Amino acid sequence: MSSTLALPESGAAVQARSARLTPWQAWGLILIVPYMLIFLLFVVYPVGYGFWIARHPHSYVQLVEDPIFVRSAINTLMFLVVGINIKMMIALMLSGFFVQARGWIKWLSVIFILPWAVPSIPTILSVRFMLNPEWGLVNSLIFRLTGEDGPNWLNDPTIALSMAIAVHIWKSLPFWTLILIAGRLAIPADLYESASVDGATNMQKFRYVTWPSLRTLYLTSTILSMIWTLGDFNSVYLLTGGGPADMTHVLATLGIRYLRLDQVDMSMAAIVCALPFVLPLVYFMMKRLAK
Amino acid sequence: MASVAIRDVRKSFGATAVIHGVDVAIRDGEFVVLVGPSGCGKSTLLRMIAGLENITSGEISIGNRVVNNLPPKERDIAMVFQNYALYPHMTVGANMGFSLKLRGAPKEEIDSGVQRAADILGLGPYLDRFPRQLSGGQRQRVAMGRAIVRDPQVFLFDEPLSNLDAKLRVAMRTEIKELHQRLKTTTVYVTHDQIEAMTMADKIVVMHDGIVEQIGTPLDLYDKPANQFVAGFIGSPSMNFLKGKVKANGSIGFEGPNGVKLPLKAAPANSDGRPAVYGIRPEHFTIADDGAEAEIVVVEPTGSETQVFARIGGEEIVAVFRERHQFKPGDKVRLKPDPTLVHLFDEATGKRLND
Repeated sequence: MSSTLALPESGAAVQARSARLTPWQAWGLILIVPYMLIFLLFVVYPVGYGFWIARHPHSYVQLVEDPIFVRSAINTLMFLVVGINIKMMIALMLSGFFVQARGWIKWLSVIFILPWAVPSIPTILSVRFMLNPEWGLVNSLIFRLTGEDGPNWLNDPTIALSMAIAVHIWKSLPFWTLILIAGRLAIPADLYESASVDGATNMQKFRYVTWPSLRTLYLTSTILSMIWTLGDFNSVYLLTGGGPADMTHVLATLGIRYLRLDQVDMSMAAIVCALPFVLPLVYFMMKRLAK
Repeated sequence: MASVAIRDVRKSFGATAVIHGVDVAIRDGEFVVLVGPSGCGKSTLLRMIAGLENITSGEISIGNRVVNNLPPKERDIAMVFQNYALYPHMTVGANMGFSLKLRGAPKEEIDSGVQRAADILGLGPYLDRFPRQLSGGQRQRVAMGRAIVRDPQVFLFDEPLSNLDAKLRVAMRTEIKELHQRLKTTTVYVTHDQIEAMTMADKIVVMHDGIVEQIGTPLDLYDKPANQFVAGFIGSPSMNFLKGKVKANGSIGFEGPNGVKLPLKAAPANSDGRPAVYGIRPEHFTIADDGAEAEIVVVEPTGSETQVFARIGGEEIVAVFRERHQFKPGDKVRLKPDPTLVHLFDEATGKRLND
């Protein structure tokens, strides 16, 4: 059917059209040109330039031989697999709390949104100060209450990376909670009432009503959060700066590290190495959204 | 099956009282319809019976059990919701068997229960489909099937037909009534549609502003409405109301608007000169030489009957005739209310005055 419909468009018709545009088509072109220019200038050119810089195979050999790179790749994976999933699970639970229609919960939710709304640099830096092992707020409190010295928060690679993940969760949890609240609010209330009449417990209501309705949103959010987090530079760079001893870098901060060492090709190569993480996620995500 | 007793039930949301002391006794196996305009409290009352809404004061019992503090699942009721509330991710069969599954019933019992309900409602071919693949009427039927599977003491229906088109609504009306005649389960049915109430109910409870205006059989309410609200609510087109005075001395009658004389069979005691409202249903007019003079305004033939809008004493009334009169707008005719079918209401309180 479509082929027969398409027939008159081919051949002579197309030639006539290419010779002279209708005003409708001309306007279409004019309106699309600014976007195309911006896309070429700010997307195609920088990305292409990045690939060009990172074109030498020896950059990659050097990169893989750098233990910091391997550590960063593992850290990135931890960030994605552990951090994001913990975050989304907490967001799922909190969204269930915040959808309750009580006055004080509404007010609480406003306060809860704050970490997401405030700018990253001052807030993450203040967390860094709070975690200072000698004069930070946290260890001062621990010392005052127990008489013991607190842990060396940002000087132990495992604790430091955990703290970076914690800061990331703290900062972006409100956003994902909000998304899941919106998802929960879209579930008709009478489904829950019907489940009550059918004899469902709260757990069963979650299992048979909430989760089936939220599942798609939850998975899509998780993937999207992973894609965004791959580029999350702030939580790590501002909190640990990649330290101690470059043990807490992720791929996003590693690029900057090489840049500061004047190794532009390595920097670009590090970012190119993030592509195997990103591309499958983007592909999977687009497939889900296309459904 | 069980009886349901509602005793002095009240409901407030914060400081706003929405139900002000309602008493209804529902016999075992009875089909009771709660009817009234939007906001009258009928759905709230139903939800209180279901346990989806707390009871502020008073008592509701199902069977011999006071259920005030029981959660819905322990009340042994099944409810059909206005929007059907089918679980979108479950097949029709799973939807219908869900309550049995939650109860931990063995698979054979669930299957046979679902099959039985599917047979009753003709849903057999659809058991593996999802709700989104069904039409509105089929979804409605699945919602009923879900209720039937549970074999509850009481069925509760919350405006179940309001999302269906007019033709399907009439068909489903009959189907629900047939179902009730077959299963004989006590049923409480909420609707704002008085025709649904009239056609389906054994007993109608007319509610208005959180109180019960009248309880009775459909024909009771039609023949002897207890007040002007019920008189106006039941019957379509609505009853005509004409304000005026009762004439009890000499020739009994009613002096309508602008002195128009209207017939009355008997006047209530000591009512001469009493201001009152004269109620007459559109279908209770005849054309007669001794009728009141009326000017035709609009004529609406529907085929089976003709609705005639006319003015008597300057007030607009509607009359319905089975015969095909050839009226034209502007024609003068004499319309005579049937004096044995006249309703008199107190002008201030709206209470019925005659027997």
